[in-house]
Amino acid sequence: MTFTQAEVAVSEQVFDTRVMALLTELQEQVQRVAPVVLAAEQRLPVPGIFHTILPTGGLQRGWTTRVDGGPSARALAWALLSDITTAGGWIAAVDVPGIGLSAAREVGVAIERVLVVTNTDPDSWSATIGALIGSVDVIVFGAPQHRVQPSQYRRMSSRCRERGTVMVELASSGQGQLQYDVSFSVDPIEWRGLEQGHGCIQARGLDVSVSGRRSKGPTRSARFELPSIDGTLRRINRTSPSLSAVS
Amino acid sequence: MAAGIRPDEPGVVLHANRVVASSEAARSMGIVRGIRRREAQGRCADVLVAERDLAGEARAFEPVAAAVEAFTPRIELTQPGTCVFPTVGPSRYFGGDAFLATQILDAVETVIDGQTHCHVGIADGVFAARLAARMKHSGPHIVPPGESSLFLEPLPITTLEQPELTNVLWRLGLRTLGDFAALDPSDVLGRFARVGLEAHHRASGTNDRLADVIDPPPDMGVTLSLEPPVEQIGQAAFVARQLALELDAKLQRRGAACSRVTIEAESEHGEQFIRGWRHEGALSVAAMTDRVRWQLDGWLNASPNIRPSGGLSRLTLRPENLIPAAGRQLGFWGGETEADQRAGRAVARLEALVGADNVQVAEWRGGREPDDMIRLLPAGTVELSDRRLSMFDERPWPGQLPAPSPVELFVDRSIQVVDARGDALQVSGRGKVSGSPARVCLDGRRWKNVVSWAGPWLLDERWWDPERSRRRARFQLVDDDGNALLIYIQKGHWWLAGTY
Repeated sequence: MTFTQAEVAVSEQVFDTRVMALLTELQEQVQRVAPVVLAAEQRLPVPGIFHTILPTGGLQRGWTTRVDGGPSARALAWALLSDITTAGGWIAAVDVPGIGLSAAREVGVAIERVLVVTNTDPDSWSATIGALIGSVDVIVFGAPQHRVQPSQYRRMSSRCRERGTVMVELASSGQGQLQYDVSFSVDPIEWRGLEQGHGCIQARGLDVSVSGRRSKGPTRSARFELPSIDGTLRRINRTSPSLSAVS
Repeated sequence: MAAGIRPDEPGVVLHANRVVASSEAARSMGIVRGIRRREAQGRCADVLVAERDLAGEARAFEPVAAAVEAFTPRIELTQPGTCVFPTVGPSRYFGGDAFLATQILDAVETVIDGQTHCHVGIADGVFAARLAARMKHSGPHIVPPGESSLFLEPLPITTLEQPELTNVLWRLGLRTLGDFAALDPSDVLGRFARVGLEAHHRASGTNDRLADVIDPPPDMGVTLSLEPPVEQIGQAAFVARQLALELDAKLQRRGAACSRVTIEAESEHGEQFIRGWRHEGALSVAAMTDRVRWQLDGWLNASPNIRPSGGLSRLTLRPENLIPAAGRQLGFWGGETEADQRAGRAVARLEALVGADNVQVAEWRGGREPDDMIRLLPAGTVELSDRRLSMFDERPWPGQLPAPSPVELFVDRSIQVVDARGDALQVSGRGKVSGSPARVCLDGRRWKNVVSWAGPWLLDERWWDPERSRRRARFQLVDDDGNALLIYIQKGHWWLAGTY
C-alpha cells in the first residue's frame, strides 16, 4: 500500500492540529488550576526612595539578597526593611552580633516585630533558618562563621522561593556563598556634622550599588542619606553641588 | 505582698515603668496606679520599688486561694491576687452574703498574717464584685442583688482597664460607666464590635458571662503523663507550654477559644489538685502557659501541709466557656494578625532549637547610651501580637547623643587612642582633654588616622548604684577608612561603644 505525497501531507496535518488542540486545552487547564498570584502580592513594601534602584521596583518575596560593606550595610538593611515591619510583617535577625536596634528604630523599623535569635551553633544553624522560612517575612543573618555546604544553601533558597521569605545576608567582605538574586554593596562616603573637635554626626551618606542575578544590565547605583540631617531617609541627586564639593 | 513590701511602708510594683500596684502607705501619699516611676518617686522619695513578678504573686497567692477553697470548691482565679466565686450556694449555707464575706475575710487574714490586707466584694457580676472589693472600706463591700448597675454608675470609665477603648470613649465625652451603659447596646456593637459589647455588658453590671459561650464536649481536655514526675518549676514551665500549645491546636480545629481553663494535677501519690483560671476574653497560648506555670509554681512551692507530697505525675488542661476563636481578631485598633501567629509558632520551634533565652524580642526603654535604650526579652514570655511600644513617651534624655545611633554595638572592646605626639589621650575629671585624638587602634595591631572628631560628652549617671553607675567621656570620630566610631574613656581606659 502506498500513499501519494498529498495524502501523507494531509494525514500529518491532521495529526498536528490534534496535538495543538490538546496542547492548548492543557494550557488552559493549567492556567485554570494554577493559583493566581498578583505581582503586587509577591512584593514587599520598601520606602519609595529605593524603588528605582531595585530591579523590579520592590523587594520580591522569595529573594535571597546580600548587603555588604561593613557596619554601614546594616544601616541600609534596616532602612530597606522598615516599611515591611510597619506594614505588620516580621523580621528575624539571626546571629547579628551587637545588634543596634535603636538605630533600626530611628530609620523607621517597628522593633516590636523584630525577632532576635542568637547563639546558634553550627549544628542548629540551618535548622534555625529553616524554622524561620515561611514564618517571618524577612530573615536577616550575619555571615555564618562556619562553612555551610552549597547544597544546604541551595535548599534554603529554594524553600525561600517556595514560601516567600526574603533572606538578607549581612556580610562585611569577600564573596558570599549563595547565588544572590540581588546584591547590595554599600560604601560610606560622608559623615555630615562632624568636624575637627566640634559638631556631632548628624547624617550618614552612603553609596549603594546593586547587582545580582535579577539585576539586568549595568550595575545600578545611587547615593542615599540614611538618615539625613533632618532625620528622614533621602536619596541624593549626584549632581547636587553640595555633595560634589565634598566627594 | 509578693514583693516583700508591708502595707505600712510606702512601696510600688512597676510594670513597663508604670505603677501597677501600691501599698496603702504609698496610696496615702498620692501614688496611684498608672503613674510613671519618676512621678511616684517624686511624690514619695523613699518609696520602695519592685518590678512586677507575676509568678511570685501567684505563688504568694496560693495559700489564700486554698483558704477560700475551704468555703466553696468553685473558685476561679482571674489573675494572681484575685479570685472569684459564685456566692449563691455558699451564702445560703453560711447564712447570708454578709456573714460569708466576714468569714472569708477572717480566714484569709489569718493566712496572710498581717502582711497585707484582703478585700472582699460581692455583687451581681465578676466585674462589679471586683470593683466593690476595691472600695475603700475595711470590711467587705456588698452590693445588694440587682443594684450593681447603680453601684457602677458613678465610677470612672477608666475602671474598665481597656485603654484603647476607654480613650475613645473619653474623647466621645463618656466619663463614667453609667454614661457608657446608657448607650444602646446595638450602637455599641456596631461601632466597637464584640470588644465594645463585652465592655458594655460589664459597665451595665448585667452579666459577665461572655455572649455565645458554649460548653465544651467532654473530650476537649488534654492530658500529659509526666514520666519522671515533675518536681521543679523549670520542668513544669516547659510542660506548661507544651500542654497549652496542644490545647490551643485542639480548640482551633473547632474554631474555638476558651475563656476559662481548669488545671488538674495529680501527684505520684494520687493527690488531686484542681484550680480554674478565667480571663475576660479568650486565652491565648501565652496567657494559658502563664497561668499553668503560675499554678504549678503555686502548688509546688506551697506550704508543706497543702503541697503535693511527691512530684506531679499527670497534668490535665480542660477548656471551659468556649467562644468562637474569631473573637480574637480584634477590631480596628490592631489585634492578632496572621503574621503575628506565624511568628509565634516560629518562636515555639526556635526555643526548642537554640534555647528559650536566645530567642528575643526588643522593648524600647529609653536611656542615654545606645545599649540602654533597648532591652531584649525572651520572646516566649511576651505576648507577640498586639504589642505596643509607644508606652514610653519620647521625652528627652539629657545627655543622650542625638540620632543617628550606632548600628553595631560592642561590649568590653578595649581600644587605644593617642594624640599627634603618640601619647595616650587623657580626659581630666573636669572634662578637659589632653590633646586632640590623632590615631586610633581598634584591634591591637593596625593604627588608623582620625579624620574628624568631636567630644568629650561627659556622662555621669546612677552614681548611687555601684553596679550600674557610669562615669565616662564619649567621643565620636571618623577614621581614614571612612568608618564612624563611638568611643568612650572610663577610668583611664578607652573602649569602643559602637560603629555607625
